[in-house]
Amino acid sequence: MSQRMTRIHLFGLGGLLLIAVGTFLGLFVAPPERYMGEVARIMYVHLPSAWNGMLFYLFAFGFAIASIWQHKPKWDALTVGCIEVGVVLNFLLLLQGSIWARPTWGVWWDWDVRLTTSLIMLLLFAGVLALRSFVQDAHRRATWTAIATIVAFIDVPLVYFCVRWWRSLHQVQSTPETVSSFMVWPLRLNAIGLFLLTIWMVSQRARLEMIRHQQEQIDEPARMAPVGGLENV
Amino acid sequence: MSEGMIVGGWNYVIAAYTITGAGLALYVWSLIIRLRNSHNRDED
Repeated sequence: MSQRMTRIHLFGLGGLLLIAVGTFLGLFVAPPERYMGEVARIMYVHLPSAWNGMLFYLFAFGFAIASIWQHKPKWDALTVGCIEVGVVLNFLLLLQGSIWARPTWGVWWDWDVRLTTSLIMLLLFAGVLALRSFVQDAHRRATWTAIATIVAFIDVPLVYFCVRWWRSLHQVQSTPETVSSFMVWPLRLNAIGLFLLTIWMVSQRARLEMIRHQQEQIDEPARMAPVGGLENV
Repeated sequence: MSEGMIVGGWNYVIAAYTITGAGLALYVWSLIIRLRNSHNRDED
């Protein structure tokens, strides 16, 4: 195994370790919140999912621009890696939010601006993945993926700022100064842990995409060749 | 102390953590399976 791969696996293991410690602190050490009580402990998985999901959509946006600029397969592989993991985190975010909404708002779902824009974000990026599955040609697939990613990314700043711009049931962002340190630490550890784990997941997904790209390069001449194989050409 | 505070709710907390853990574990498992399959195809 190459040194680079070993380093990437260490990211994943380190991430899991931090999440384990952060989860322990969040569940058993952090105090209940003043109004939401024990239910507020969902925050220690909900916020890291939201932060990392949006951060990796931002990375996907950057890789998409690089993909259009340079047309290198590695930028396309990293774009799809960030989007796929982002979609997983986005989906979990909506589920966690729904579970948190039931005891605090009294409903599983509300067409509130934060929830709606988050759902649109999930559908847009899932749409990018669906779109790419329909395109056979690797070069065209990378270009379409990059353009669709840039378009989908328009919703990400909306998700972040909507609670400040419009009236929302969802609370606005807090700062560490307004939160007890017993609550900040599990949040930080889980956020950093999930960040490291996400780097590992994106790297593995990108590796898978690069292998597929290489296989397509090998398969392409065979597909183009007349019946009877290449030896007859 | 508990005035105006939601009482209980551990079942919601457990549900949120379980779904998150299971979701991430499933995705990691799918990645490992897909990588193994693509390596096998590469060897063929």
